[in-house]
Amino acid sequence: MKTQILSFVAFALFAAACHAAPAPGEQAPDFTLTDSDGKSHKLSDFKGKVVVLEWLNHGCPFVKKHYDSGNMQKLQKEYTGKDVVWLSIVSSAPGKQGHMSREETNKTKQEKSAAPTAILIDEEGTVGRLYDAKVTPELFVIDGSGIVVYAGAIDDKKSTDPADVTGAKNFVKQALDETLAGKKVSEPRTTAYGCSVKYAN
Amino acid sequence: MRALLFLALLVSPLAAQTYQGKKLVEASLVADTTAIVPGRPFRLGLHLRMAPGWHTYWENPGDSGLATTFDLELPAGFEAGPVSWPLPQRLVEPGDIQVYAYRDEVLLVRTVTAPVTEAREVEFRAKSTWLVCEAICIPGKAELNLALPVAPDAEPANAELFTKFTALVPSGQAPPFALEWSRTSTGWNLSIRDAEGAKRADFYPFADNEHPVGHTAPSQISDGSATLAIPVADSAPVRGVLAVDNGERRGWVVESKTTISSPATQTPGGTTGFWTYLLFGALGGFILNLMPCVLPVISLKVFGFMRQAGDSRSAILKHGLAFVGGIFFWFLGLAAVVIALKSAGSEVTWAFQFQSPWFNFVIGAIVFLFALNLFGVFEIVLPGRAAQGIAEAGSHGGLAGSFTQGILATLLATPCTAPFLGTALGFAFAQTPAVIFAMFGAIAGGMAFPYLLLAAKPGWMKFLPKPGAWMERLKQFMGFPLAATLLWLLYVIGQQRGTEAVIWASASYLCLALAAWLYGAFLGPLSSTRAKTFAALGIALSLFVGLGYFAGNLFARTTIAAAEKSSPAQAGGISWIPYSEAKLQRLLAEGKPVFLDFTADWCITCKFNMRTAIDTAAVREGFARQGIVPMLADWTNSNPEITRKLARFGRVGVPFYLFYPAGRANDPVILPEILTEQIVLRSVGITDNTHRP
Repeated sequence: MKTQILSFVAFALFAAACHAAPAPGEQAPDFTLTDSDGKSHKLSDFKGKVVVLEWLNHGCPFVKKHYDSGNMQKLQKEYTGKDVVWLSIVSSAPGKQGHMSREETNKTKQEKSAAPTAILIDEEGTVGRLYDAKVTPELFVIDGSGIVVYAGAIDDKKSTDPADVTGAKNFVKQALDETLAGKKVSEPRTTAYGCSVKYAN
Repeated sequence: MRALLFLALLVSPLAAQTYQGKKLVEASLVADTTAIVPGRPFRLGLHLRMAPGWHTYWENPGDSGLATTFDLELPAGFEAGPVSWPLPQRLVEPGDIQVYAYRDEVLLVRTVTAPVTEAREVEFRAKSTWLVCEAICIPGKAELNLALPVAPDAEPANAELFTKFTALVPSGQAPPFALEWSRTSTGWNLSIRDAEGAKRADFYPFADNEHPVGHTAPSQISDGSATLAIPVADSAPVRGVLAVDNGERRGWVVESKTTISSPATQTPGGTTGFWTYLLFGALGGFILNLMPCVLPVISLKVFGFMRQAGDSRSAILKHGLAFVGGIFFWFLGLAAVVIALKSAGSEVTWAFQFQSPWFNFVIGAIVFLFALNLFGVFEIVLPGRAAQGIAEAGSHGGLAGSFTQGILATLLATPCTAPFLGTALGFAFAQTPAVIFAMFGAIAGGMAFPYLLLAAKPGWMKFLPKPGAWMERLKQFMGFPLAATLLWLLYVIGQQRGTEAVIWASASYLCLALAAWLYGAFLGPLSSTRAKTFAALGIALSLFVGLGYFAGNLFARTTIAAAEKSSPAQAGGISWIPYSEAKLQRLLAEGKPVFLDFTADWCITCKFNMRTAIDTAAVREGFARQGIVPMLADWTNSNPEITRKLARFGRVGVPFYLFYPAGRANDPVILPEILTEQIVLRSVGITDNTHRP
């Protein structure tokens, strides 16, 4: 009987740990990751600033759509210019698509003219699972008090065609503009589209 | 060789997607016909064949991925329906990323309607984009062309491919098992009941941007039951596809409902309004008056009116109203029973009473006693004689008699599901108790209408013949149609329980007749006390032997098996195959056209249709020539599988006829309830010009 209760509690905790995906309105779970320059970043250190988390895999056709069209870089430049912290996170496991060494990461960043605050390496997939990130690109917007205010897709055109960027409704832009203006995000949750995050197992 | 040529015609050139020298996807456009027949719909399919290990996506791709697109560029006048998506598979990637996808191959189908065209050949252009994934994802696209000739007639093409994938397209009908939705703190629980033979259930949600639906863990089905937990934010309504595996995978489109639903709660069409159905109900009720099994009682009642024509107007009105009251009493009582059984979860269907041999036995006994009464074997206190006594008591007894006759008339009407009645009842059974009452009330009203009219305007009874001595002869004569009704009931009993059951029922009736004769001959007011005592003993004895031994013992022991032994499952010259859903699905999967006839031995309309419209030389020959498999769903005895099948089409009674053209497993043609040979021939696509004069 006792073991049954224990195993149930263990299961409940496990289940809770598995489904800790932060929903809009909830506290963003804290984490520490090293970036492509070897520098360590802790989410809670950015308190007071608006933070964007962007799951990244340059091999994914959906990510390519937003980088080849210059859409993602434009967003990164515009909002880092407005004192927003933009963290691109690579959760691909070693040997899987999107995984790169620090040097390769920086080289690709230069080639693509990407302008995030930092590209964080998450090869264990710990932070990816902490946020229950399923696809690339998948985006989270966290406000100055550390609350998730947006989670989901970059825009409403589910495709791999760069031509679809024009005319699409950009949910991240909308969430950032509203948050920076001190307003409530009108569409705090959408369904992200893209390639699966390439976790180890 | 010819086949190869055809194949080349009906499949577009392949378009292949290659990646690092490896072929990932082969796309082609295929048609299900060798030619376009002006005015006749056909189907175009996008056929994708994936390299081993790679997959493309369903309309809702799941956590990642992208739905395949299938756009058609059609020549003027042509129209295409939406894409039919076969059931996907659930693939789980590391990180609990679940996708709904297709491995190996998939066929996305669109139905195209062809206009009347002068062209000799028509070219179709399809555009498709897809995302094909293994560990990584690669987008692909193709532009495909397919030219089809225009001809007055065509053969099916690519039948195997179309049959395989259309069988996997979820049905819009209700599933053949019960579903129950209940809200939970995290979404919905979808419970499946009575899914006999099914092994596994799975749920694939349609995409909903407002309220993303989480993943449902597939569930094993044990004893026909399973519960699926569907997570969705705010327990918002969900729509999706329920997939059930019972050897073969089949899908149904389902939608969360706060109320409990069973297969019988699906209404056909749904566009015909409540009042139209009530009108149909009333019309059906009126037509019930003309049914052969009601006619004798009707004549009796008319005879009653004639006798009363000399009485006061108010007495006639009272009798008429009592008769009408009897009709309403029966129908509303039936409605109450139906509602009670329905809420108890039983499968209740129109004319279900006649599936019980005991019901037939009791009705037979009543009919027989009534006939004996008409023949003059015994007499119940007649209203006329009673009228000579105390006027009040006389009229009271007479009213009770009229009331009983009203009940009897309707009791006998139930097996004859008149035209309209099937549809009207199909609607009513799916409704709330209030609507069921309204529907049965409408039927009662329709049936009662002529009597109400005569009771309100007794003057019109002048048109009826004057009473006289001939009435006694007429009364005796009326016994014969009743006796004929008894014959029919015995025939049904024989079909249900075999010859022995008929013998024991008849023996029981014989004892009843003896008891009735003893009652009539020795229990009259003129008999001595001694005679009365012996007669009472004799009545008790013959009732004991008749009901206790012949009915309660011997008749009760007869079984369905005896009936099956004594009557082969053949109904005429056509070699019918007995219906089972598994057999039907197998035939349809093989691409065979199937004619499915729902019948019962107690259904006179069914017998009439069989004799005059189905089992005829022209239909037999047409079935044989076109390879149509005749299948018979015999509902004489209660059969839950047939009941469920009927319910899927919103029917609760027979006759009912379905024709499944080859390759249209989900879309059968529904034939009318009253058939002619022409209707049957036309419905199954046998045209007249094949019979040259």
